[in-house]
Amino acid sequence: MILEVSGIRKSFGKAEILRGIDFGMDRGEVLSIIGSSGSGKTTLLRCLNFLETPDAGRIAVNGETLFDAASPTRDSAKVLRRKRLHFGLVFQNFNLFPQYTAFENVTLANLLLAKDTDAYRQNKAAVIGGIEEEAHRLLKQMGLSDRENNYPHQLSGGQCQRVAIARALALKPDILCFDEPTSALDPELTGEVLKVIRELADQRMTMIIVTHEMAFARDVSSHVIFMDNGIICEQGTPDQVFGHPQEERTRQFLQSFIQ
Amino acid sequence: MTPEQWSIVFNALNVGFLQTLRLFFVTLIGAIPLGLLIMLARRSSFRPLSWLTQGLTWIIRGSPLMIQLLILYYGPGLAFDWHPWGGGEAGRFSAAATAFIINYAFYFAEIYRGGIASIPAGQEEAGLVLGMTRTQIFFKVKLLQMVKAILPPMSNEVITLVKDTSLSRIIALQEIIWAGQKFLKGSSGISASILPLLCTVVYYLIFNGLLTILLTRLEKQLSYFR
Repeated sequence: MILEVSGIRKSFGKAEILRGIDFGMDRGEVLSIIGSSGSGKTTLLRCLNFLETPDAGRIAVNGETLFDAASPTRDSAKVLRRKRLHFGLVFQNFNLFPQYTAFENVTLANLLLAKDTDAYRQNKAAVIGGIEEEAHRLLKQMGLSDRENNYPHQLSGGQCQRVAIARALALKPDILCFDEPTSALDPELTGEVLKVIRELADQRMTMIIVTHEMAFARDVSSHVIFMDNGIICEQGTPDQVFGHPQEERTRQFLQSFIQ
Repeated sequence: MTPEQWSIVFNALNVGFLQTLRLFFVTLIGAIPLGLLIMLARRSSFRPLSWLTQGLTWIIRGSPLMIQLLILYYGPGLAFDWHPWGGGEAGRFSAAATAFIINYAFYFAEIYRGGIASIPAGQEEAGLVLGMTRTQIFFKVKLLQMVKAILPPMSNEVITLVKDTSLSRIIALQEIIWAGQKFLKGSSGISASILPLLCTVVYYLIFNGLLTILLTRLEKQLSYFR
């Protein structure tokens, strides 16, 4: 299994947002997490990306334990950064860096990371060339070759989100997470982002997608989790969860989307 | 006034304006970095330091700069018979510059704080998930956005500072108002006249005009992103 998550709990003050989350993923799987606002979906993604520290539980990638609340380690900033890079995160609001072009947004982190390496010290030009070539390739894949030198404010929301996806992919994460990637977009821009995510699924990219796009989740996922009130209420194949939900709460939730 | 008398007037005004400019630039050079330190202290997670800074901010911003000048210049000598500033124009300048640097640093700190607060938390988070260090995030991502955000309020303060330097007249610093004012009662064989004092206004207007052009250009430089 590429990802094992067990017993994740997280509270903010008295509010218990996650109340014991367990799931696993195989390489190349696409996991959709659905559920109403406040069910803990986003907090779960933020825990996986080390933006929040779970109060309890364990996270392992490729068999390596990255986090275990039972045996806390005082990671150096450097170790924590390396652990983070197993995951990529695409935000709802893109969070592109406004003072950099689309191309610079994609290359920035890699250029900074490369500075610490021996390869960079030995052959700076080759390393930079490689990073730039990869950025050109990713932006082309996102259909943005003609937008490389535009700043975020000159791009549409859909284009911004595709730059953000390219930026996350540039670091070659094992697992790419999406936090409601189309929620900030006009309906007509949603399609272009979903198309790109679908292409990544076809290329067997391992992904976790928190979304309210039910038709898309049913279509693109290999596995679906329905979260409710901080726990996994129901999970299974898209056909099981969407077609034959067992839990009353799941039925209620899905019903609200049909109406 | 004869041309010779005008020449005397402008010589005096030039000398005074040089002192005005000196106080202006020394204040900026001191207050810009000191403001950064004060802002960091204010944001410190060590509560007493943050509280102390908030208290000082209240006192410095809440009381007139003129009284701060007077206390700083005369206070140590009268209260403790301690004379840190030395005598003459150099001593007055040291006292004035110290008071101005402290006063403006507290204003700048508040502006910096607003600038940092205006940057969405998502910028830091995006940097973190991309494996950047907090230092890299500050210098490569946040700093320029902060500079852009604080430039308009800083421009305001800078223009105000040019005029505020005239407050140092109260401890008899020989800046341009002081230089113009002595002609009110007649001086150097020139009969009493308001004209030299009016001329000081032109100095201020020209210098502030140049500053405005410079600051607007700087803002334009940063208008390539939003």
